[in-house]
Amino acid sequence: VTRTREEADRTRALAAEEEHLLSCVHCGFCLPACPTYVRLGDEADSPRGRLHLMRAVAEGRLDPASNVLHRHLDRCLGCRACEPVCPSGVPYGHLLERAREVTRAHRSPPLAVRILLALLARRSWTRVASWAARLVRGSGLAGAAARVLPRRWGLPFAMLAASAPTDLRAWPGDVTGAMGEGRHATGSGRVALLDGCVQRGIFGHVNRATVRVLRANGYDVLTVPGQKCCGALHAHAGDLEGARALARRNVEAFRIADPDWIGVNAAGCGAALREYGDLLEGDRLEHEARTLASRVRDVSELLAAAGPRGGAPVRVDVAWDPPCHLLHAQRVHEPPLQVLEAIPGVVRRDLARASECCGGAGVYGMTHPGLGGRIGGDKTSALLESGAELVVTANPGCQMQMGAGLLLDGRRLRVVHLVEILDESYRRAGAAAPGETHEERA
Amino acid sequence: VTSTPAASNLSSGLVRDLVRALGAGAVLTDPDRLLVYESDGLTRYRQRPLAVLLPADTATCARAVELLHRAGVAVVPRGAGTGLSGGAVPAPGTVVVGTARMNRILDLDVTSRRARVQAGVVNADLRAAARIHGLTYAPDPSSEAACTLGGNVAENSGGPHCLKYGVTSRYVTGLTVVGPDGRVDSFGQAPGLAGGLDLTGLFVGSEGCFGLATEIEVALLPAPGAARTLLAAFGRLEAAGEAVTAILSEGLLPAALEIVDGATIRAVEASVYAAGYPVDAAAVLVVEFDGPEPGLDEELASAAQLCRDAGAREVRTAATDAGRAALWSGRKKAFGAMGRLGPDLMVQDATVPRSRLPEVLRAVDEVATRHGLRVANVFHAGDGNLHPNLVFDRRDPDQVERVERASREIMEVCVQAGGTITGEHGVGLDKRDYMRLVHGPAELDLMDRVRQVFDPRGLFNPGKVLPDPSPPPAPSAGAAEAEPVAIPPTRPTRGAKDLAAVLEAEGIACAAAASGPPVALPDDVEGVRRVLRVAVRHGVQVEVVGTRVREAAGTDAGLRLSTGRLKGVDLHDPADLTVSVGAGTVAGELNRRLAEVGQWCAVDGPGAENRSMGGLTAGGDALALAAAFGGLRDQLLGMTLVTGDGRVLSLGGAVVKNVAGFDLVRLAVGSRGRLGVVTRVVLRTWPRPRAERFLSLPENDARALVPAVGAALGAPLLPASLEVGGGGDGAELLVRMLGSATQVDHATTVLASALGPRCRVLDADEGHDRQARLRPSTLGRSPCFAERPSAAGMALMIERARAASSGRFWALPDQGLLWAEGVEGHGTSEAAGRAAMLEEGLRGVFDPDGVFAGAPVRGKSS
Repeated sequence: VTRTREEADRTRALAAEEEHLLSCVHCGFCLPACPTYVRLGDEADSPRGRLHLMRAVAEGRLDPASNVLHRHLDRCLGCRACEPVCPSGVPYGHLLERAREVTRAHRSPPLAVRILLALLARRSWTRVASWAARLVRGSGLAGAAARVLPRRWGLPFAMLAASAPTDLRAWPGDVTGAMGEGRHATGSGRVALLDGCVQRGIFGHVNRATVRVLRANGYDVLTVPGQKCCGALHAHAGDLEGARALARRNVEAFRIADPDWIGVNAAGCGAALREYGDLLEGDRLEHEARTLASRVRDVSELLAAAGPRGGAPVRVDVAWDPPCHLLHAQRVHEPPLQVLEAIPGVVRRDLARASECCGGAGVYGMTHPGLGGRIGGDKTSALLESGAELVVTANPGCQMQMGAGLLLDGRRLRVVHLVEILDESYRRAGAAAPGETHEERA
Repeated sequence: VTSTPAASNLSSGLVRDLVRALGAGAVLTDPDRLLVYESDGLTRYRQRPLAVLLPADTATCARAVELLHRAGVAVVPRGAGTGLSGGAVPAPGTVVVGTARMNRILDLDVTSRRARVQAGVVNADLRAAARIHGLTYAPDPSSEAACTLGGNVAENSGGPHCLKYGVTSRYVTGLTVVGPDGRVDSFGQAPGLAGGLDLTGLFVGSEGCFGLATEIEVALLPAPGAARTLLAAFGRLEAAGEAVTAILSEGLLPAALEIVDGATIRAVEASVYAAGYPVDAAAVLVVEFDGPEPGLDEELASAAQLCRDAGAREVRTAATDAGRAALWSGRKKAFGAMGRLGPDLMVQDATVPRSRLPEVLRAVDEVATRHGLRVANVFHAGDGNLHPNLVFDRRDPDQVERVERASREIMEVCVQAGGTITGEHGVGLDKRDYMRLVHGPAELDLMDRVRQVFDPRGLFNPGKVLPDPSPPPAPSAGAAEAEPVAIPPTRPTRGAKDLAAVLEAEGIACAAAASGPPVALPDDVEGVRRVLRVAVRHGVQVEVVGTRVREAAGTDAGLRLSTGRLKGVDLHDPADLTVSVGAGTVAGELNRRLAEVGQWCAVDGPGAENRSMGGLTAGGDALALAAAFGGLRDQLLGMTLVTGDGRVLSLGGAVVKNVAGFDLVRLAVGSRGRLGVVTRVVLRTWPRPRAERFLSLPENDARALVPAVGAALGAPLLPASLEVGGGGDGAELLVRMLGSATQVDHATTVLASALGPRCRVLDADEGHDRQARLRPSTLGRSPCFAERPSAAGMALMIERARAASSGRFWALPDQGLLWAEGVEGHGTSEAAGRAAMLEEGLRGVFDPDGVFAGAPVRGKSS
C-alpha cells in the first residue's frame, strides 16, 4: 500500500508539471536539434516524443513503470539542445529530471552510476577517489588500460588519462613580458569560485588557472569553505532528493561568503547552480537559492565582462567546442569567443556541428556504448576535420569525453579548458599575480 | 480526441514478415512506444497506430507496403510530423510508415541545378547543402528547420517566399513513388514534355493518399546574392494593406511581404522574444527584397517611400544579416510568443484574394470576439494567405467547442470572399468537413475517383482530405448543371454535313473546315456540354481545338470543338495579381488588356501571341519563361473544365496558394483535350518589368554555342529566358533579361561577360524581332529531345538533332528541351507500364465514354 501511494505521489509530481508539459505545442522544431533523434530517426528518441511520454504518464495513460518510458528517457543525453530552438520555451531539462525521478523509483540506475553519485555526495569519499584516480593517471596505468581494454571498458580509463594537464608551453609565440589593458586592474568584484568535485579532484590545474586569470582581470577570488558537489549529476539521474541535499549545503556555504559573483568553470555545474531556485522550490532555503542562482556566472562571462586583458601570443589553431550546458542550458554564447579573441595568436577553426553534444553526458559512453560511441565518433571526426591543433572547451565532462575519443583513436590532439590558454598567454606576459606562481607542468 | 488502444493487432505472421524485410529495429509494435506517433503538429487528434515502420530506403519501404497491402492493412505516411492539419494522424487500425531514416541527399548536380533526395531529408538541410554551391532550394515553409521534403511534397508546402518563388510543386521535377500496392514507380517531368499526363504535378499535394514518395528530384535556383529588409509600422491595418498593393502595383516583386497585426505585436513584445516592434502600431509590414546586389537599395528605397505614402509612421531598413534578422525576429517568434498566451494555440490557415484582406481580417476579428476568443493574425500579405491564431485551453471542452465553431466561421468568411480553406497547411483530418465549403459534389466526387485510380482499395492515408460521403442532396433547380449527361444509345455515325446540321439545330454555330470534320463553335459552357452530348449520341469522338480552326485535323475525330468563342477577360481587382480569362482569348489580347493595369502574364513561346489560353493550357507547352517564372502549370490557379460526361467542374480558384484537395488543375494542364474542355482559366499575373533587354550570340555552327550556353546556365542569376535556334544557315543564342533598369544593366554585364566579346546587346524591339525569326511557327507536340538542363545536355541534343534531321531546330537549354523540324517527339502519350495504367484510369474518370480523341497532332514545324 505504501509503495502504491509513493508511486501515486511520484506520478502526481509529474502531473504537477502539467503547465510545463502543456507548453509543448508539438511543433517538432526540436527534432533536428536532438542528437539521438538525428541518429535513430524514432520519435520516441526525440524531445517532443519524450515530452509526449511524460505527458501520457501525467494523464494516467502510461504506466510510470513502463520499460519504454525508462528506455527512451534514459537514452536522452540531457544536452538540452532542444531548448533554444523551442518556440514555446518548454523547460525540457527541468522536466527530464522530474520524469527521471519517476522512472528511478521503478528501476535504479546502473551500479556504476550509483557508485559515482555516492562518491560525489561526500567530500571525504570524493577526496579518496580523486587521489586514487590521480595515482592511476600519474602512473600511466590509465593510458595503458585504455589501450588494452575493449573500448567500452577502456573508455573510463581513457577519460581519466585525457584529464591530465596539457603542456601549452610548446606552442610558439613571443614572450612579451607585458599584459594588455583590461577594463579594471582591480575592483572587478568579489568572486567565490565553485571548486567542484571532479574539477577539484582531477582538474586542479584548471581551477588554479581560473583563479590566476580572474585575478589578472581585477577580481578578488574568495575561497568558500563547506561547499559540496553541485548535485548536477544527481539531478540528471533523477535523484532530486540527493541533489537538493547538496544544493542546501552549497546555498548555506555561499550565503555566508556573500560574494558579488559565484564563478564556475564547469558548464554543467554552472547550469545546475543557476537552477537552484527551481530545485529548491518550496524549500525553506528557496529565497536564498534564488539569490545564489542570480549571482552565478560562467568564468568566461566574468572574463568577458572585465575585458578580458590580452596577454602574450600563443600561436595555435583551436577548435572551440561549446559545452551543451554552457550554450544550451545557460545560453552563454559570445563570452568564450571573446576570451579566445583576446589571446593574440589564437586562430579559431570552423568546427562542423560544434553546437552538438560530444556524447559525454556523464557516463553515457558506458551506459550506452553503441549510441554514445557513434555520437562521440562523429565529434572526433569533426574535430580532426577542423584542422585544429588544440581543442578548447569549458567543462570537465566534455574535456574527458572528447579527449578520450581522440586518445582511443590514437590521435595526439589534446583538449584543454578555455582558461588554460588564457593562463598560458598571461604566463608568457609575465603576469603572475602576487603570491601566485605559474605551476610547473612536467 | 483521446487515443483509443489499437482496434486490432497485426497478425504475428505479418509482424514476422515485416521484421524479416526491415530488420527488428525498424518495426515498432510496443503499444507504449507507439504513443508518440499518435499525433503530428496538430495535437487535437490522437490515434495510436498498430505499428510504426521506419524503412531506410525505397526497396525496403516498397516491400513493407506490399506486405501490408497483401494483408489489407492501411498505411499512413509520416515525415517529421510537423503538419498542422492532422495529415499524419493514424486512422484506427493503420500502420505508420515513417521516412525519418531515409534522410540522405542522393545527388546534387551543380551544373544542371538538380538535387535528388530521400524523402526524409530536412528542408533546411537541402538548402544548406545547395548553398555551398551558390544554389538554393526556394520553398521554405516556416517549419523548414524540421520538416522533410517528403512532407513538403505531400502537402505542396509554401512559406513566406512564395510570392516571388512559388510553391513546392514548381520545383519538383521527378518522384520515385511506392504505390499503395508496394510497386515502385517513377513519375517524370512536367506535362507537354513527354506528352503524358502530369502525374508528378498531381501527386504533389496529394497528402499521402496516392502513395509514398521515397525519392524526390527538385530543381535548384541560383542563391540570391544579397537581401534587404524593411519594416514599416502603421496606425491602421488597412494602411499596411494599401502599402502592399502600392508596392506590387509599382512593379516591385519582393521576396516576402508579411504583416503582423497589433495583437500579435503586443504578444511578442510582452514575451521573452521582444523584438522592439512598436506596441501601439495596428500592424507592421515586413518587406524583403533579394537577388543580385545591384538594384536592391533602389527597390528598398521605393518600397520605403510607398510605405510612407501609405501612412507608415515609421520605416526601418536593414542590409546586414544581423539587422535583417532583428527586423524579422518579431515575425518569426510570433508563433512561440502566441503559444505562451495560453496552453493551446490553433494556427489557422486560409487564403483570400489579396484585395479582400482588410475586410476578411475585420470579419475574422468579429468572429473571434463573438466566440469570446483571442485572435491574432500573422499573414503572408503578398499571397493573401492568413494565419489567424486562436488561443485556448484544450482542457476546457467549452473553449474547444468555441474554437471549432470560430474556425468554421472563419473558413466561411474566407470562402465567401473568394478564397479557400487552406493555402499551405493542407486539409488532412482537420479540414475535411470544410471541403464542402469550397467544392461542389461534382468536384468532390471526381477527387474521390481520382484517388481510387491510385489507390483502389483505399489503403493509403484513409480518412483524410475528402469528407465522408454525404447523403445525396435533394434535387433542386441548380442540380441539373452538375449532373452527368445521360447517354442515349449510340446511333450509327452520320456524315460531317449531317453532324453540322444537328449541331446547328441545337443552336451551336459550326464552321466548315477546309477538310475533315465540322468544327463546333459553342458560345458558352452550356454549348460545350451540348456539343459533347451530340458527340456521344452520334458515337463520334471530339477533338478539342483552340483557335486553330482552319488547320488540318490532327486526329480522326468525327467532330471538332473550338473554344475560340469563349472569350472574356475578367480582371477583378488588379491588386490581386490574378486574372480570369475565357479559354478562347488569345495570349496577345490578354497581355494588351493586362498592360492597361501595368501587368502581364508570363506566357511566351512560338506563336503564343496568337494562341488561345485554352489551347496553351491543354498543350501545357514548355514556355520560354518557365525557368524564371514557372510553367503554365505553376501559374494557373484555377479553371472551369467540362468533362467528357458533361460535368462542369470549377477547379482551383483565384488565390495564389491553394491546397484544398487534390490538384486537378495541374493534372488538366497539358492533358491535350483528353480529360475535358477547358472553358475558362484563372491565371496569376505579374507586375510589368520596368526594363527589358536581350543578348544575342550568333555562330555558324550550333555546336560552337555550347560553351556559351554552359556559361549562361552557370551565371549566378536567372535570365528571363534562354533560347537557341539554328539550322543550315547558322545558329543563335538569345538571352532575355527583365527587371528594373539597374537589374537589367547588371544582368547585361554579368551575362555579356559570360557569353564573351562576340555577343551583342539588343533593345526590346530588336530582341523580339530576333526571337520571332529564331522560333518555328509551331512546335511538334512534344520535344524531340529532353536532357538535363546543362551544357552537356545541350551538346547531346544538338548532336542527336543533327543526326535525325537536316532542318531547323529550336531549344530551351535552361529546361533541357529541343525541338527539331521533321522529327516527331518521343514518348507521345505512350507512358510506360504503371504510368500508362494510371493515365488510362484517369482518362476513364474524366471521360468515361471516351468522347475525346487522342492527343491531337499539331501542324508540322515550318
